[in-house]
Amino acid sequence: MASLEDQDMLAKAIARCGDEPIHIPGSIQPHGFLLVLSEPRLTITQASENVREWLGVDVKTLIGQPLTELIGECGFAEGLATLADDDHNPFHLRDINFNLPGRSNHPPLALMAHRYKGKLIVEFESAGSPGAAYDKLYPLMRTFVVQLQEAQDLQYICQLAVREVKRITGFGRVKAYRFDAQGNGHVLAEQADEGYPSYLGLCFPASDIPPQARQLYCNNLIRVIQDANYVPSPVVPRINPDGEPLDLSFASLRSVSPVHLQYMRNMGTLASMSISIVIQGRLWGLISCHDAKPRQVNYQTRTACELLGRILSLQIEAKEAASLAQRKLELRRQIVEMLSSMADRDSVVEGFKCMPQVVLDFAGAVGSAIVAGEHSEPVGETPPAALLVRLTQWLSQQREQLAFSTDCVSRDIRAIPELAEHCAGLLAVSISRLHPHYLIWFRREQIKTVNWAGQPEKRIDNQGGLSPRHSFESWQETVRGYAIPWQQVELEGALELRTAVLGIVLRKAEEMAQLAGELRESNKELESFSYSVSHDLRAPLRHIAGYAELLGELEGSKLSQRGLRFLDNIGDAARFAGTLVDNLLSFSQMGRAALRLSDVNLSALIESIRQEMAPDCEGRQIDWQVHPMPIVVADAAFIHMALRNLISNAIKYSRKREHAIIEIGAEERAEEIIVYVRDNGVGFNMQYANKLFGVFQRLHRMEEFEGTGIGLASVRRIIERHDGQVWANGEVNQGATFFFSLPRLTYASPI
Amino acid sequence: MLKPILLVEDNPHDLELTLVALERSQLANDVIVMRDGAEALDYLLRRGDHTDRADGNPAVLLLDLKLPKVDGLEVLKTVRETPDLRSIPVVMLTSSREEPDLVRAYELGVNAYVVKPVEFRDFVAAISDLGIFWAVLNEPPPGSLRLQRQLRDRKSNDEPS
Repeated sequence: MASLEDQDMLAKAIARCGDEPIHIPGSIQPHGFLLVLSEPRLTITQASENVREWLGVDVKTLIGQPLTELIGECGFAEGLATLADDDHNPFHLRDINFNLPGRSNHPPLALMAHRYKGKLIVEFESAGSPGAAYDKLYPLMRTFVVQLQEAQDLQYICQLAVREVKRITGFGRVKAYRFDAQGNGHVLAEQADEGYPSYLGLCFPASDIPPQARQLYCNNLIRVIQDANYVPSPVVPRINPDGEPLDLSFASLRSVSPVHLQYMRNMGTLASMSISIVIQGRLWGLISCHDAKPRQVNYQTRTACELLGRILSLQIEAKEAASLAQRKLELRRQIVEMLSSMADRDSVVEGFKCMPQVVLDFAGAVGSAIVAGEHSEPVGETPPAALLVRLTQWLSQQREQLAFSTDCVSRDIRAIPELAEHCAGLLAVSISRLHPHYLIWFRREQIKTVNWAGQPEKRIDNQGGLSPRHSFESWQETVRGYAIPWQQVELEGALELRTAVLGIVLRKAEEMAQLAGELRESNKELESFSYSVSHDLRAPLRHIAGYAELLGELEGSKLSQRGLRFLDNIGDAARFAGTLVDNLLSFSQMGRAALRLSDVNLSALIESIRQEMAPDCEGRQIDWQVHPMPIVVADAAFIHMALRNLISNAIKYSRKREHAIIEIGAEERAEEIIVYVRDNGVGFNMQYANKLFGVFQRLHRMEEFEGTGIGLASVRRIIERHDGQVWANGEVNQGATFFFSLPRLTYASPI
Repeated sequence: MLKPILLVEDNPHDLELTLVALERSQLANDVIVMRDGAEALDYLLRRGDHTDRADGNPAVLLLDLKLPKVDGLEVLKTVRETPDLRSIPVVMLTSSREEPDLVRAYELGVNAYVVKPVEFRDFVAAISDLGIFWAVLNEPPPGSLRLQRQLRDRKSNDEPS
């Protein structure tokens, strides 16, 4: 294990390696030579020193000469016109011969030209046999393209490409690998001759390819190192006339980093070629070829491989796009399913609970929860409710973001270390613009074994420079605490679901607002209706009572006893109807008036009701058993009305008892208070218990017990306004007990 | 001469019963009856048919709340807004106990508000109390001595002078 100091040095060395300006190495590989020309005269401004080996001339003699004078009017100048401005890749213009003294009968040279940053860069290498190359390469390519089209699965596509590249190039081992989000390369396919170690299924650490090299790989799709032991040939002069070092990003002869050459030698390979797989501007993967011996790759083969790389990239892109579209479609279908479930049940939470499997499949999760502040609705495997509450608090403190996701909660949510005991990955979307309400999915820890191709660490040499690792022996690492990472498409799906859920929530809020508006309207109507009732109904009743009385006074002496009784009945009936109207009115007000909560001392209240009722108790023997009563938070006037109704009922229905007993008490429970009023009066048949609290429901004939049938209905309404309940027990002639419960309200209770 | 009582009532039954009640209260004041709010205002402001009525304001205005044309609250409002009428005591008579009316009437400066009881006996008592209180003790402060004297006077001489 490396010490901290070592690790620190390593980090610095890697950073230095990442800083190496590999696009301006100032030299080339010597398996060809390079000239830089200034247009339009095509004067040579820079050249590689190895022209001495290739052309037998000193580099200095070439500088300042127009190239056309050296190679004759061979159509080179005209060919330049065919170079595309936006394609920087070297383009084979023609094979040429140099007209230099002492240079006859030399084999022709292939001339490749490209422009980059205003420079015309011309590279030369030995020309192969064009005919043979095309005869061999074209059929190979054709078969490959046909097979590629038929291939469905990514692994197989890579296998085809690897096989094809090996056939075309003849490298000893060809492998295709794909980079993960961290940049580690996973070997997907490999084809190797005997004697080559296999890397299939292994993982090359991201640090093997520094960032600037990755960038270069994105631009220039193919690189060849024919011999790792080459001696680089410097470009002269080092600084071109513009005062800049020569940018060789696209040059096929670009010399590579000595670190890389050491890496190759450590790996036991002397020749290498890599073909970039670039998808949507991103380095998706590489086809990497190695050979134990130096190997020449002519430009025809390179061009074929580059083409193959491009076709492969397109094919992979198409496959990925198709599977992405498939996944999106699936996500969309699941979103629709969830939404319709929510809409059907008219509740986001209910809809969510009804289809646990879809909710989980949607995000490929093992658990999910809708959390609204303190309240949570879990589905599947989730952390316990208390942790969910803390998680919600934590989420609401994060920067304003619609979605949060992590594949490692122990790393990303340090505030709640316990969370990692229950899940490794989580994805959360906020589903309210105002409140800390979240829809959260959880993923289990995925204990992952990575087969590294050697320890993913580079070593530092004694100068503090980076020396590439020596060991490519497979090495297993167990990675813990991580879940399968959330894919972009899943995050997008979750956000889409969020938008739709918000839509439902908003629509519901609008509906509620509309409903509330309608309710206000109808309440108003009701108010004016009851106003009319009270005004218009009371007037005729008053008149009947008034005239009946006047009639009795003025003409009473002329009426028979019976007539007088009728007159009395008329008056009584009118008065009763008046009381009925009054009671109904106050009953309807009970439903509308806002509750005014205050501390209500039930003992004091009962005492005042008893005094109020004293006239009704005159001449009776009533044994009052009033137990100590608590103080409750309620609307004092309403509770007074309710208790008065119950107590006056107890007095009324026990009046046939010689010895009446009325007991009043309360039971205090954790969440509510139960109050009861018990009498030993006529009682009632439990069969009719459900009718007791209805409006105009009476269980006794009028002659027995007077009443309007509104009293108990009022009690129920009052108690229900307090979110409480009413009920009664009784038996005919054995008395009755009326109960009501009052929840423990606070002044802030929404009622 | 005693100032008259102005009774504004549209309902004939209520009118008759109120008159009986006033009669029974043995008040000496004349009772002038108007059948809607507009007529009442004409009388008070001496307009229209009442341009030529005798000077002076009524001792008390017994005003039904719900009236045709101009309702009781509007009459009350006009009375309170008219300098010459402002000091007339106004008693609202109504069938209803509805809160908004009550609040509104007090806002407009009503002196009393009476919900007509169904029981005729209670009604007579209420009207009689009102009459005595406002018609007899019209001028503040309501000293009980004067009330006693007036009542005594009336008992000794049934007909007003």
